Amino acid sequence: MSALRSYALLVRWTGLRQKTFLPYAVIIQGLFSLGIVIGYPLLFPQIDARTILFIATAAPSITLITMGLVAVPQQVAAARTEGTLDYMRSLPIPRVVYLLADLTVQLLIVLPGVVFGVVVATWRFNLPIEVSPWVVPAVVLVVLTATSAGYAMASLLPPLIANLMSQVLVVLVFMFSPLQFPADRLPDWLAAIHRVLPIQAMGEVMRGTLAPAEFPVSAGSFVLLGAWCAIAFGISWRVLARRR
Amino acid sequence: MLLEIDGLAKAYRKGARANDGISLSVEAGEVYGLLGHNGAGKTTLVNQVIGLLRPDAGRILIGGRDVVADPGYARRACSIQPQATLPIDGLTPRQAIELVGRIRGSSAVDVRASRARLVDGLDIGEWLDQDGRRLSGGVKRLVSFAMAAVAPGGLVILDEPTNDVDPVRRRLLWAQVRALGDEGAAVLLVTHNVVEAERSVDRLAILDHGRVIVEGSPAQLKERVADDLRLELVLEPGAEPPTPAPFVLHTVATGQRILATVPSTAAAAAVGWADALKRAGRVEEFSLAPATLEDVYVELVGRADALQNGNGGQGAAGLGGAPNARRNREESAHVGAA
Repeated sequence: MSALRSYALLVRWTGLRQKTFLPYAVIIQGLFSLGIVIGYPLLFPQIDARTILFIATAAPSITLITMGLVAVPQQVAAARTEGTLDYMRSLPIPRVVYLLADLTVQLLIVLPGVVFGVVVATWRFNLPIEVSPWVVPAVVLVVLTATSAGYAMASLLPPLIANLMSQVLVVLVFMFSPLQFPADRLPDWLAAIHRVLPIQAMGEVMRGTLAPAEFPVSAGSFVLLGAWCAIAFGISWRVLARRR
Repeated sequence: MLLEIDGLAKAYRKGARANDGISLSVEAGEVYGLLGHNGAGKTTLVNQVIGLLRPDAGRILIGGRDVVADPGYARRACSIQPQATLPIDGLTPRQAIELVGRIRGSSAVDVRASRARLVDGLDIGEWLDQDGRRLSGGVKRLVSFAMAAVAPGGLVILDEPTNDVDPVRRRLLWAQVRALGDEGAAVLLVTHNVVEAERSVDRLAILDHGRVIVEGSPAQLKERVADDLRLELVLEPGAEPPTPAPFVLHTVATGQRILATVPSTAAAAAVGWADALKRAGRVEEFSLAPATLEDVYVELVGRADALQNGNGGQGAAGLGGAPNARRNREESAHVGAA
């Protein structure tokens, strides 16, 4: 059977399994984006237009990253515990096809929330968002990286630890990552770490493609992200194919 | 031989040897039972066959091909019903069965025909288009069987297929298992339900602590106890278990139920003994019947948890226990003759 056919059937299988979850995911992500773009100006009434744009363009990255690093590990941990993962692994499907199908469905789940967030921000603040076509590869890359990282984490760690890890990462992403504020506000050592970690690069490629006029993005961010994506995907693939 | 396993060994990092030199083979068209109590190594064996676990030693051939070297081939050649109940939330049984059939490589037309036949045969049509979340455990189990049988490989592995299934559909399920064999598949049936296995398998192996302790057809295995009868006593609530009569070969107690094996020559004495216990108000009821595969199993494995369907060694402390199984045979034969 061709890999393409397996892929299409698996996307259908996973999509149907997730379809009950989809409305909640859209609502939660929508509220989340809404909270960020509307909530911050309440915290800081003297906020200027450029800061608003900075925060509004961070919202999609935060949505995508938390989805990949929190929701995905929880799903994978559940699939491991209930035996679904082993069942899927017993079917005659190349591991990489299984992984790609899963990532595709995750992408489809997060997309509506991201679009909604951007639309709301544009409408609420009359933002000059002129989306670049590069936003498509940017979203795909961010989702693939975050989801693969979540996948790898959940496959390598015991379910309980994976769940704990994902909570810790939320705090890290929200409070100590240069997504909603510029990196130069961080202590030097943390800024240095973030130059290597993928989180800052995720924020930059999203912001740089949603508002390219205000925030130019360097090719370096794409390259760094691509490297992280390859590593995380490779680990997930290996773990999935491993025989204990 | 469709499935050949030779000297298979697997130890987990923390635990004991889960498989300790297992050899067995299953022919095409044969329903082969793999029996053993919880933790005997059955699921470990299955997971090595389908390539989820890597054996420490030994060979596994499917259709003559070494699947330890080529686990991808194992997954094409085997379809499996896992022991864990598969959640199919979001999918209807129709979608789940047909999608798995197509993922296994069957055409849409073939899959639909096969699905219709299975749904009919298992009598689960009324749930065909209901969301998986609203299905009962038994129906989910039947759907899971249909997923394994819709586009079966040369080898079909069924891990505890009848758990949670109602008695009527259990029979339908066994008929479908038989049909898989009749259509040429080799069926590896993993269970600890000895009574059901006796009626359904062509051959079987009993696993204990990772080893095959006996192998053969149900009839061959029962020859070991051909001269024995089983006396089943149900104790009055709160009554102390009686001291076994001298002719009793061995006993196993499970809660209020006591199974005593007695030689057929002692049938009259056994009935007399049991009747006296009943009159004395210690036994609620009793029955005497030919020994079954379950008795062979208990004798060999020597554990009362074999009698339970999945709830471990409750009440395993018996009157004598299997280790003494044959000790009193001469004595009891003597009693029987008296």
